[in-house]
Amino acid sequence: MKSYAYLFEGLTTRRVLVVTAICAIAAAMVVRSFLNTYPDLLVSALCVGYTSMLLFTMAGNMRQSRLPREVVQVGAIVVGSFVGTVLAGIVKGRDIRHMFGERLEGVSITMGLGIGFGCVVVAWYILREKHARERERMMRAEAERHQLEKNVLEARLALMQAQVEPHFLFNTLANVQHLVETDPPEASRVLDSLIKYLRAALPQMRESTTNLGRELEMARAFLEINRVRMGSRLQFAIEVPETLKTHAFPPMMLISLVENAVKHGVDPCCDCGTITIRAREDEGRLRVSVEDTGEGIKPKKGGGVGLSNIRERLKALYGTSARLVIEEREPRGVVASIEVPA
Amino acid sequence: MSRVPAVIADDEPLLRAQLRARLARIWPELDVVHEMENGKGVEAVIGDHEPSIFFLDIHMPGVNGLEAARAIAGRAHVVFVTAFDQYAVEAFEQGAVDYVLKPFNEERLAITVDRLKGRLGSQPLPIDELVATLAARLAPKANENHLRWIKASVGSNVRLIPVEEVLFFQSDDKYTRVVTCDGESLIRKPIRELLDELDPAKFWQVHRATIVNVDWIASVRRGLKDQAEISLKDCQETLVVSRAFTHLFKQM
Repeated sequence: MKSYAYLFEGLTTRRVLVVTAICAIAAAMVVRSFLNTYPDLLVSALCVGYTSMLLFTMAGNMRQSRLPREVVQVGAIVVGSFVGTVLAGIVKGRDIRHMFGERLEGVSITMGLGIGFGCVVVAWYILREKHARERERMMRAEAERHQLEKNVLEARLALMQAQVEPHFLFNTLANVQHLVETDPPEASRVLDSLIKYLRAALPQMRESTTNLGRELEMARAFLEINRVRMGSRLQFAIEVPETLKTHAFPPMMLISLVENAVKHGVDPCCDCGTITIRAREDEGRLRVSVEDTGEGIKPKKGGGVGLSNIRERLKALYGTSARLVIEEREPRGVVASIEVPA
Repeated sequence: MSRVPAVIADDEPLLRAQLRARLARIWPELDVVHEMENGKGVEAVIGDHEPSIFFLDIHMPGVNGLEAARAIAGRAHVVFVTAFDQYAVEAFEQGAVDYVLKPFNEERLAITVDRLKGRLGSQPLPIDELVATLAARLAPKANENHLRWIKASVGSNVRLIPVEEVLFFQSDDKYTRVVTCDGESLIRKPIRELLDELDPAKFWQVHRATIVNVDWIASVRRGLKDQAEISLKDCQETLVVSRAFTHLFKQM
């Protein structure tokens, strides 16, 4: 029995009292047009009312999806009025056969009234419920909008705070220091790359709008520096068609992926590795990928902080029409790609 | 004065050359007998070269400078080499350990060299404790007990999904659904095994077939039959909390 208890959910004392009141009023409203006494009408009304209420509640809780709930509920009222009328006859001690014979007219009227009142009540109830659902939906949408605004702000803040790691800066300078003595032209090339990188990476120096070309230049500068630092261990290639370089692209995302490829991909595995940046446009989407032949991702190793930052910023900027995908590369390494609307 | 054998370990070739050149200038007796790209094989180097001094870069791929220092275990003097590293410098200053900063400053290097010369005849400083604190601070072995990435096949590719992005896992016949904001993929690893490997603080089992990421729960509503229903952020799907797990969401 307990397993069907859910069918009666919502059958509160309040609901019973409301139905009782409606029955009392309905009986009073029609008492003048009938020969019956008020108590007699009230009994009929209550029988119809309670039966309909019971069926209506069960119809509302039924777990089925073939018919809309409202249709089932109206059906419950019709059936409830019929069963209720029969029930009223039984309560009043009348002969059932008799009811569907000579007294059919009266019975039909009772049923009709039951259906009429029932439908009005149900319509009101359904409207009220729909209104409540609408309000809840609006409140949730509002909350989501607030959350999104907060995410945009946080993403902007994270971007402002993204900065050059002192460790990287000082190590690079140490390399330059040595090259100044041993290979001045190379020293000057590394300094050029460092300046290019700093111009893009320092928040104060960053331009507010950027395109793929500029982000690629920053990535190239970073990779050039690392190629000098890591000696023969790092190789890289940038395979991006000239035409795509003017495309708008969010700042600091590509460099994040490239940094990951160096730091978590090529650097930890001691022999050499290659990083390839590619971009292509298809079906209205711009896809920029960073591929490394490094050590790959171990399921239990962390390092996704920069990535979740990119994901949040993409969501704040483009909603669901942009994404970051990370995939394993065969035979080894990782491909990380950002897709944005072109 | 006899020659002093030394070893330099740094993953950056130019910086090894740089340190070697500077040391040659201020300490001609120092003989750099070996160079290493990382701390791998310290034992063999000690056996082959019997160096008195190791110059160890702290950040190196593979075996880092701290691990190498531990392996040296007081059999040679250790000088740590590092680029800017606030934690390390603070620890060095408290622990009276020899260290030099990159880019190298000749005066600073000369002071270190003088101190080393003064100590060469005596036992190397005990640095175990310092190395232990530094190791804990610099390379926090980011809890590697828990699963951080889910590998799921998508077509012919293997997609890597950070667990933070996963809204929930749900067993579906032979497979387990991995549901994220952008969609879902299937993996073979059953809920039971995932439960053992995921961080229990973040991933709760709420049903025989479901593990939810608590960070993505928007609200929990009491439902029918002693069950509860979870609504998720950014997701239409709702999850059923079965009776056995509703206690997780009882009011405080």
